[in-house]
Amino acid sequence: MANGQNVEVVAAPASRVRIRSAWLDRESFQGFVWIAPAFLYLAFFIAYPFFMSIYLSVSSARVGSPESHFVGLQNYQRLFADPTFWQTVRNSFVFTFGSELIRLVIGLPLAFALNRTFKGKRLVQGLILIPFVIPIALSSLAWKWMFDSLYSVINWMLMQVGLIDYPWQWLGEPGLAMWSVIIMNVWRGFPFSAVILLAALTAVPQEIIEAAKIDGAGPLRRFHYVVVPIIRPILFVGLLYSIVFSFTDFSAVWLLTQGGPYNTTHVFGTYAYNIGINAGDIGQGAAITLFIFPFLALIVIVMLRFLRRES
Amino acid sequence: MVIERRWKKWVYFYIPLTLFVIGTLFPFYWMVITAIRPDAELYRSWRAVNNAPFWTLSPTLEHFRDLLAKTTFPYWLWNTFFIAVVSTGISLFCGLLAGYALARLKFPMAGTLGTSIFVTYLVPPTLLFIPLADIIRSFQLGNTPWALILTYPTFLIPFCTWLLMGYFKTIPKELEECARIDGATRFGAMIRIIFPIAVPGILSAGIFAFTLSWNEFIYALVFLSSPERKTVPVGVVSEMIRGDIYFWGQLMAGALLGSIPVALVYSFFVEYYVTGLTGSVKG
Repeated sequence: MANGQNVEVVAAPASRVRIRSAWLDRESFQGFVWIAPAFLYLAFFIAYPFFMSIYLSVSSARVGSPESHFVGLQNYQRLFADPTFWQTVRNSFVFTFGSELIRLVIGLPLAFALNRTFKGKRLVQGLILIPFVIPIALSSLAWKWMFDSLYSVINWMLMQVGLIDYPWQWLGEPGLAMWSVIIMNVWRGFPFSAVILLAALTAVPQEIIEAAKIDGAGPLRRFHYVVVPIIRPILFVGLLYSIVFSFTDFSAVWLLTQGGPYNTTHVFGTYAYNIGINAGDIGQGAAITLFIFPFLALIVIVMLRFLRRES
Repeated sequence: MVIERRWKKWVYFYIPLTLFVIGTLFPFYWMVITAIRPDAELYRSWRAVNNAPFWTLSPTLEHFRDLLAKTTFPYWLWNTFFIAVVSTGISLFCGLLAGYALARLKFPMAGTLGTSIFVTYLVPPTLLFIPLADIIRSFQLGNTPWALILTYPTFLIPFCTWLLMGYFKTIPKELEECARIDGATRFGAMIRIIFPIAVPGILSAGIFAFTLSWNEFIYALVFLSSPERKTVPVGVVSEMIRGDIYFWGQLMAGALLGSIPVALVYSFFVEYYVTGLTGSVKG
């Protein structure tokens, strides 16, 4: 609204300029020109592959075989009959929500700690972000070595303190392997959660907290009634992002366990890679990745509605 | 009173925080120690006498020497750098234009286009790597840096657009209008007035995009095959694990050297990095 008025004010004295390149300068035309590179790029490299993946999932496409034909829902039927696929679905949810929960539990107190002023605050903040900055492919190697079956330093430490009395097979035992993957995923993502939370917390005006304090609200009630409503938008959007990243993760799981042992850590990404790239069954692989889509669509809808309501 | 409070602060604040930071950084410490530890010490039982698990008694650079002499590691470094810089450049270009248009210009369907760019931000590589592999194959770009240079902007452009849009919104409109009254075209006003002010925003977007492309794994794993064409993350993982044998010393040396460029960029521009990180969510 304010924009429209301003344009009128500008337009009157600058009529000379307007005549010279009237239509080129019109916003309704320029807007399209400016947004075109990004839009066309994304249309070609995201929208097109996406539709192609729908097509591939109902075809018999394989790596290296020239002809592929329409096979209907065969790929999906095969998936529904595949116990490993159902395990993958279950694993993906366990991995995602397990990681998010622990991240919040660690991230929230950490953000509160960093929201205080103390000596070395910037240093601590800078150091804590490092796991998020370093390539996961490289740092996961350190974890793989720390989880090694023979030379695990974690086992050594735990045995020294007496918490365990035999070396655990972190990546070799079905239940434990999922925990190991979650531990690394938490380690790698909690800085993101903490920094987002911190950014949200610093946006809370100190006066409001003081006012609540004077009104006699304790720390818990201040948090619940004063802090949470203010930080909710960022918290919510940050959480959804984080969920999407975990749910669609490939590298962390692939590098630590490759989905093993006995498929107990397969998530959508790794299973699709195994079938679609390693085994060359493109159709089936595309069908697996498309199962991410409903979940993703749900999150996008929730997020868009939320953002609209907030603004 | 004061003394008691200080004591409490140490117990409830500094000590837990310090322990937490040490724990967080331990994997990197372990990376360093492993990289400089001789093989004989690496593969020895923890129970051996005179063993020093948390440091090494005879540090060596043999793993780094092997890494540089026996593998194509220097190529990987260059590939990763080149790909990250070019794809960041493409993304910044598209993101600047689109971000500016979305923040400033009024045109039909601006809202819809903005939303659709925002939605693409949430589309993960995991959903796209199979069809993209097919497209790359049909364009005969497989195993070339262009496979990555062209695909990395799929996750960088939405991010850059979103971040820069937020940044442009904070720049007062009046600045640009003054230039327009003085006769500058919209493009001229943007180049000469808006971009110079937006440099911190551009820097944040650029640094974040650079680290994202440096760290990318799945596209690089799927699209590249010959050893000398690989990027650091994929090269280290795929070339130093032969069969079931892990060369831990070399692996950690490679992981360390491959992390240093990102760590350097990060340490010089922490503030911009954090702005990029929070801006990606706040918009």
